[in-house]
Amino acid sequence: MAREQRERSSYRRYFPPKRKYCRFCERNIKDIDYKNVDILKRYVPERGKIAPRRVTGNCSFHQRKLSTAIKRARLLALLPYVED
Amino acid sequence: MRQYETAFLITPKLEEEEREKLIEDMAEVVKKKKGKMVNIEKWGKRKLAYPIDKLNEAVYVFFHYQGNPDIPHELQRRFRQTEAILRYLTLKKEAQIQTRKKAKPGRKSKARSEEKAKFAKEQEMDVEGEKENGENPPEQTPEVAPEVTGSESGIPDEVKE
Repeated sequence: MAREQRERSSYRRYFPPKRKYCRFCERNIKDIDYKNVDILKRYVPERGKIAPRRVTGNCSFHQRKLSTAIKRARLLALLPYVED
Repeated sequence: MRQYETAFLITPKLEEEEREKLIEDMAEVVKKKKGKMVNIEKWGKRKLAYPIDKLNEAVYVFFHYQGNPDIPHELQRRFRQTEAILRYLTLKKEAQIQTRKKAKPGRKSKARSEEKAKFAKEQEMDVEGEKENGENPPEQTPEVAPEVTGSESGIPDEVKE
């Protein structure tokens, strides 16, 4: 990889380093359920904060759905508000 | 008729019989108000993510039902009255979620092909030394746009007359 990049600098233009994508769009999920704690947990790392879009790579539609689902789960004590 | 989903937490202090009775009582509310119980989900005892009223466990119950808006109203009133219920949440389920279907499936591939086209153009432009033209959209779009707006504005005028 590194050698190829040195040889031709335009290589990177065609294959950007890492492409983020919306995992919900990929599986064609329209609704994110607040009861599905296993999925929601992936987007609430360590501190219990909702991961921002620049990290998750979700599309705005699903990020919005996800955040409301997480907030609902918090209300029912399925997820923590704060964790330390 | 609307679809509702009501979740509530019951204290673990209650005995099993009492708990079942409470759930049945709540389910009867739906019946009495001519609602249709689709199904009852019981998760049983579960650890809470944070303590509520100094309790670390609670019993999770979910009602899925159809009916008029007075059912969740009545349920919520009862939840507030009974001390054994720690939390409750009622959601109205949307029958259909409106989404823009056209934009979604092809987004990734479209974006990629556009990028590739851009790169190709940029490379061409690099040779010529002009980068600004590469970012401008092709000339066809302005030609199409007025036609569409014209037809759109024409239809409501006819309707009005």
